[in-house]
Amino acid sequence: MKYYRALSKTAGIVIAIIIIIGIAAGAYYYIQSQKTTTGKLITFVPLTGDFHKDIINVGKALEQDGVKTVQFSVWSGGDPNSVMRIYGIVEAAYRINNIWKQNNINVEIKVSTRYVSNPNDVYEDYINKWSLGQAPDIMANGYTYIASLASEGYILDLTPYLNNYTSFLNQFYPTLIEAMKWKGKIYGIPQDTEARPLYIRKDVAACAGLDLSGLAEKIKNGQFTWSDLYKWALKVKESGCAPWGLIHRKGSAHPDLIQFIYAFGGKLYDEKTGKLVFDKAAVYKWFTVEKTFADHGLLPHDMMSWDWAKQIHPTVVDGKTLAFIGGTWHWFEWQTKAYYTDPKTGQQRPLTAEEVHKFFYYTLFPSGIKGKHGLTLSQPFAWMINSKAGEQNPNYDKLKDLYHELAFLVVVKASDPDIIAIHSLISGHLPVTKTAAELIKNKTWVEELKSLKIKLDPVVLNNIKGIIEKTVNPINVQFLANVTYMLEYTTFTPKHPQYPKLASLFAEALDQVLRDKMTPAQAVNFIVEKIKADPDLEKSVEIVGEIPQNWTFP
Amino acid sequence: MMSAGLRDIELRSRRTELLLVATVLIFSIPLILGYGLLILSSFSKEMVTNLNPHDFIPTLRNWILFFEGRTAVFGGIRVNIWHIVLNTLIVALGVSFLVTLVGSMTGYAVSRLKFSGRKRFMALLMLLHAFPGSVMVVGIYFLYLMFLPSYQLVRFYSFFFVIVARASLEIPMATWLMKGFFDMIPWEVEWAALVDGASRFKVWRKVILPMVKPGVAAVMLFGFLAGWMDIIYVRTFLVDQTLATWIESNINAEYSYLPLVAAAGTFYLLPTIIFFLLAQRLIFTISATGVKG
Repeated sequence: MKYYRALSKTAGIVIAIIIIIGIAAGAYYYIQSQKTTTGKLITFVPLTGDFHKDIINVGKALEQDGVKTVQFSVWSGGDPNSVMRIYGIVEAAYRINNIWKQNNINVEIKVSTRYVSNPNDVYEDYINKWSLGQAPDIMANGYTYIASLASEGYILDLTPYLNNYTSFLNQFYPTLIEAMKWKGKIYGIPQDTEARPLYIRKDVAACAGLDLSGLAEKIKNGQFTWSDLYKWALKVKESGCAPWGLIHRKGSAHPDLIQFIYAFGGKLYDEKTGKLVFDKAAVYKWFTVEKTFADHGLLPHDMMSWDWAKQIHPTVVDGKTLAFIGGTWHWFEWQTKAYYTDPKTGQQRPLTAEEVHKFFYYTLFPSGIKGKHGLTLSQPFAWMINSKAGEQNPNYDKLKDLYHELAFLVVVKASDPDIIAIHSLISGHLPVTKTAAELIKNKTWVEELKSLKIKLDPVVLNNIKGIIEKTVNPINVQFLANVTYMLEYTTFTPKHPQYPKLASLFAEALDQVLRDKMTPAQAVNFIVEKIKADPDLEKSVEIVGEIPQNWTFP
Repeated sequence: MMSAGLRDIELRSRRTELLLVATVLIFSIPLILGYGLLILSSFSKEMVTNLNPHDFIPTLRNWILFFEGRTAVFGGIRVNIWHIVLNTLIVALGVSFLVTLVGSMTGYAVSRLKFSGRKRFMALLMLLHAFPGSVMVVGIYFLYLMFLPSYQLVRFYSFFFVIVARASLEIPMATWLMKGFFDMIPWEVEWAALVDGASRFKVWRKVILPMVKPGVAAVMLFGFLAGWMDIIYVRTFLVDQTLATWIESNINAEYSYLPLVAAAGTFYLLPTIIFFLLAQRLIFTISATGVKG
């Protein structure tokens, strides 16, 4: 006797339809993929170093291979003014599409973008998505990531391409190209860089009777050191001109404070062994300087946990400190974000360019040793190309090399002087090529940019015109020109995969010192213990030097 | 009414009841405060998280910026926020649908059918639920790679995969929950339908399911919340962004305009509240059935 049926007729029909649709879809995509693989494919075009010629050859090859559209994606992150880190690629694609159109090549590059606040998030997402074939084709991110990405094979070795593009390569500052290398090979093209000036409030200094004339030169030559700055800060505090003598950024991996290690003659990386270096003497001196400032009420004890928007920036722009260890981009940020409390209205608003110029003096980071020149620190951003670039395009397995060449040429185009110069002028980062630096000095071009007469992809122009209107002015142009010399004195953080962990230890220990929970010597020993307790760090860090016994500050 | 009957047998005094409510409220303060400050900050020019009333400067700007898809007051880029909301909804509704469908079917099977290994199967379900999603992500990653389709289908596949993977984590609990509800329905109700010639599937769909609506609503809600809130699977596998990943990637202490992030966070809470309000009538309905002996 039959009690029930397992499946009703309707349900059976629905399942059958789903299976048929699935088979049909599979067959359709199989036929489509077979269509594009017929005929002889051009899988590679020898690069000549002549961009125009190469891009036409690649375009023709793609057209012959039956590719009509190339999809590329670009990801980046950072402050809201640095959007050219993605729009640079959009603009480059627009220019290449125009070249192809003029040469009757029926191929088009389409670029999808993703830009977020946190560049580290972009890096982590890149790693997550790489194996799945979902990582972007091009990424603009900090050069420090090159080490881990290159060692895992996640990004393309650009050396073979650049061997044909030596004149292109020579446009960049050599130190920046060095920063793009990992084990002797070049894995990135510099996108931007920056300097970290020491900002000094002109009005606060004047109030305390401090003479700023020639200070930048004295710091450059090592005649004015941290001991002198401490004395100035003390004078400011005693005369009641400002509640603080020094304010700086916070966080775990911010390299601003690492400058202290270099300022006291220390180092962070040993080129010969490829290991990180923990220089006990230099770190001890750094902690001692900060502790002395904090003990005398010149630096907040809780500096490492201050709020950016409510405490750090308002303190600086409202003139409540003599000095601030910041970055070139802050000059622009203060003009776009409402950190300043207008004394007349009591309302918060951004500073005008004139006000920023009126309030701030800028110089290199002072040395800790008399006679040793001042310094700065850069963390250049790099264009990195996915080692699977073009994977989301037809016939990738066969046309891989061609897609890689195209991605490289897109990055070459994104390094056009005007694209780099626009990024510098709207974000406060420094140009990475000499030609872009020259362009920034060209008043006619700057005027064209300001009046939005410059020829750009309408999408790009529409997205950045608000930033251009607000930031492109003679004062900012002059600022960029004035700080570019700092690149001659620049230092870098190590490109070592374990460096972020070590930097976090520095921040943790410094916080304890500032809060008076550890002496500088205890903090140094704390870091040593932590390094020894972590197998990865112990393997990667070389501990050098000893805590100096007779050294005092100031 | 049943609720009036329950009150009659309530033995606690009013004072004890008030004390209990007050205790619960006190322990809930951090939670209520957290959500309250988030919502307040979304309408303020500055974050009010440090409990300073002077920081509350009323504005609607954060919400306007959010709906414009902006990531900053000035500069930044614009995204299609509705596209991101749609992605989140697809994942949440997909997970909810799959969990409800499979959970209620499996729950029915383990409640009503006798098959070998049934008890072991039940124990295994419980064991599966004990594994946190983050532990399984490595294995699921390999599964994802194993079935990776051609590039044209990857986007669709990533949605399908995230929904299936995320739902699979919720199904064991849903099955147990639904089994409990099915166990309460007398066998005779079902028997009558089977004798009348209905298939098992028809009985399940037309006779039994309507009687366990609160269970179905609860499973739907939990499934929806699991999909809506998920970040690990979405971040690992989905090509597109959802609200969770979009908010996360735009939180940066130095660069982010946090009141805008607060508006996004408040918006992120809304569908959950709405879904809960719509489903609560069903969830808190007590279904009583019986047969005449």
